[in-house]
Amino acid sequence: MLEVDVAVPRGKFRLDAAFSSDAPIVALFGRSGSGKTTLVNAIAGVVRPERGRIVIGERVLFDSARGIDLAPEKRRVGYVFQDALLFPHLSVRANLAYGERLTPPAQRFVDGERVLALLGIRELLDRNPVSLSGGEKQRVAIGRALMASPRILLLDEPLASLDGARKAEILAYIELLRDELRLPMVYVSHALEEVTRLADRVVVIAEGRVIAEGPAAEALSRAHMGALTGRFDEGAVIEARVAMHDARFELTTLAFVGGELVVPNLDALPGEPVRVRVRARDVSLALARPSGITIQNVLEGNVVSIGHEFGAIVDVHLRIGETGLTARITRKAASDLALVPGSRVFAMVKAVSIDRRSVGFA
Amino acid sequence: MRPLAALALAFAAALVAPAAHAQGALVFAAASLKEALDEVAGSFALGRAGRVDVSYAASGALARQIERGAPADLFISADTDWIDYVEQRGLAVSGTRRNLLANDLVLIAPATSQVKVRLSPGVDLGAALGKGRLAMADPGSVPAGKYGRAALTSLGAWKGVEGRVAPSENVRAALALVARGEAPLGIVYRTDALAEKGVRIVDTFPAASHPAIVYPVVLLKRSSSPVARAFEGYLASPDARAIFERHGFRLP
Amino acid sequence: MSGDETGILVLSVKVAFAGLAASLPPGIAVAFVLARKRFPGKTLFDAFVHLPLVLPPVVVGYVLLVLFGTQGPIGRLLEPLGIVFAFRWTGAALAAAIMGFPLLVRAIRLTMEAVDPRIELAARTLGASRTRVFFTVTLPLSISGIATGGLLSFARALGEFGATITFVSNIPGETRTLPLAIYSFTQVPGGDAQAMRLALFSVLLSLAALAFSEWLVRRSPASAHHA
Repeated sequence: MLEVDVAVPRGKFRLDAAFSSDAPIVALFGRSGSGKTTLVNAIAGVVRPERGRIVIGERVLFDSARGIDLAPEKRRVGYVFQDALLFPHLSVRANLAYGERLTPPAQRFVDGERVLALLGIRELLDRNPVSLSGGEKQRVAIGRALMASPRILLLDEPLASLDGARKAEILAYIELLRDELRLPMVYVSHALEEVTRLADRVVVIAEGRVIAEGPAAEALSRAHMGALTGRFDEGAVIEARVAMHDARFELTTLAFVGGELVVPNLDALPGEPVRVRVRARDVSLALARPSGITIQNVLEGNVVSIGHEFGAIVDVHLRIGETGLTARITRKAASDLALVPGSRVFAMVKAVSIDRRSVGFA
Repeated sequence: MRPLAALALAFAAALVAPAAHAQGALVFAAASLKEALDEVAGSFALGRAGRVDVSYAASGALARQIERGAPADLFISADTDWIDYVEQRGLAVSGTRRNLLANDLVLIAPATSQVKVRLSPGVDLGAALGKGRLAMADPGSVPAGKYGRAALTSLGAWKGVEGRVAPSENVRAALALVARGEAPLGIVYRTDALAEKGVRIVDTFPAASHPAIVYPVVLLKRSSSPVARAFEGYLASPDARAIFERHGFRLP
Repeated sequence: MSGDETGILVLSVKVAFAGLAASLPPGIAVAFVLARKRFPGKTLFDAFVHLPLVLPPVVVGYVLLVLFGTQGPIGRLLEPLGIVFAFRWTGAALAAAIMGFPLLVRAIRLTMEAVDPRIELAARTLGASRTRVFFTVTLPLSISGIATGGLLSFARALGEFGATITFVSNIPGETRTLPLAIYSFTQVPGGDAQAMRLALFSVLLSLAALAFSEWLVRRSPASAHHA
């Protein structure tokens, strides 16, 4: 169980945040500069809070009231940085061994062979970090942190400096680690996609404060997403279960409280819980159930609220059964359809717009 | 004026300034003459147009600089070797050489020291030196050092102290070592010993034990300065002689 | 080369090496403090470290005489321990070390500042104490700076004259290093040829030191990082 409650003055603003988690991965989600990195730095012992308490399990890392402040090297907190930060003067093998050697044998619980296999880095052992690609560096960095047998693993935007294909690759590795190792992780990111895929529990941070905390879908929808993710990424996260597969057309139906979503084939078993991200720009609205169109997903629901009344584009927040959804349409369209809070609408989501990257497995 | 332009102008002016020396005189003099000659030069400048600048260093260094074309008007050396050197290279105006001053060589010790030594044939300085060294100007090249070695050799004491010498760059540095108490004994000119309160004279080397210590002066061929000639004449004047005597020099 | 000349060469190398060896630990420490730490009076401290670079060498020599001479406060303290600088080659080494110190510190500091402090952070999260981080991460990554600084300091020591002759005078076999010997020869009419020879040896020595320094940098694994 990770418990964090700290206040850290930071130049222009002050980080004053508290959260707790015993989920396999808890994500710290927010914009750049919101204080997420300061928070993990406090957990790692790199930055000293003005006041507060940080506890992992029964181990107190920091407690200002009792004057406890463990040095970073005593905290057994693994840290994976955005740009790997491997030791350039040591081989990959030596990098991996660095933390392991500093861990008393009695406290080493990580199986080195397993880590090498899980991350696929065995063939890199004799290479020098400078010659590795971005993805390879990041995998070695994760391995290095793991080999020190940490109690908890912090990952600070580990995919930020990777390109699209690499991101997906490393994301898959992290998912694998989450499932295979019994090691709690704290994942810091400003990318909604990553957070959706990986985390059961999300802590949303803005301007140094926690504005939402809880299961992913709930926390993410509660927070006003547009301000956090930038207009491009505005959307909703829906918790659903795999209902069935259509083998002929290679489609999967997901059931959620409020309806069903048809998506391109998912590699999952019926009954498996998933989280689906639906981008607002992929949602269209109609006043009546349409017919003769290609869109597979037509969901009936009500308008809850409509966004800013200026500009060409407006966000309409909907309720589909128990689930929230957002549609991004032109202000003209909202006016033409005379949409107001309470209006009954049909939300249409193209199955094609929900790709593999938008789905996370719980 | 813009600062950069002003700076450049000042720099150029400074480069041109040496030409102003034509209005004065540049004298190269042995280091041991410093206090006395400064006073004489000051007294000369009073009520007279034209100033005298003196550059002090080891006589050898000065002679070499003159050889390489230094713009000196007058050269006062601490021994005859270096004046010969300059004359042999045709740098001196013939007929202007004369012995200006004479000096004595003394053995000194720190002012607080009680050591007693008599400088007579067969004297053994080893006992008086103890674990310390004998401070003197470099016996290989500096006049004061050469005189010192000659004197000790003639007294039969050189072999005994040859390995115990601390050769300094010039006689003033040797003086400083003794004044600071770093060396228990030193060999300097009488004039140096009188100028430094931190040392006391233990004994004077017999005049017969070393070549006469004379300070020849010569006018240099490069000189075109009337002030230099005037100063050279002034050096023999009663006023100047009085000043030299007061500092401990003997007049030949 | 005559026996005397060999003696002068050997003494010079001995003095320069001893000076370098003695100034490396404090040089690395001072460079680290200046590179990483912030404290009141840091600028003053930095200026103080650079003093030997800007003061006339004779002044530095005189200060050394006052402090480390047999009558000086530090000299008197060290004498019962058997450490004597006055009129000994150890004094020449001290003068060389002091004169080369600012160059040593500058070069090392620059390299240390180029080491990403976050890499040191990463090492700490892996369980390394500050001391261990310094020796296993910071120092290896600063090798090129240490080699460069060492070379500069060594070269400066080989050419050191003013402070040496003022502090420990020009004693043949004990403190008569190359520059002092060359100077002595130029003071004697006809000594030019010997002075030239010694000057040539000086140049060869410096080139050898340069080559060694280059080799040291090239073979360090950290050099790939700086490529």
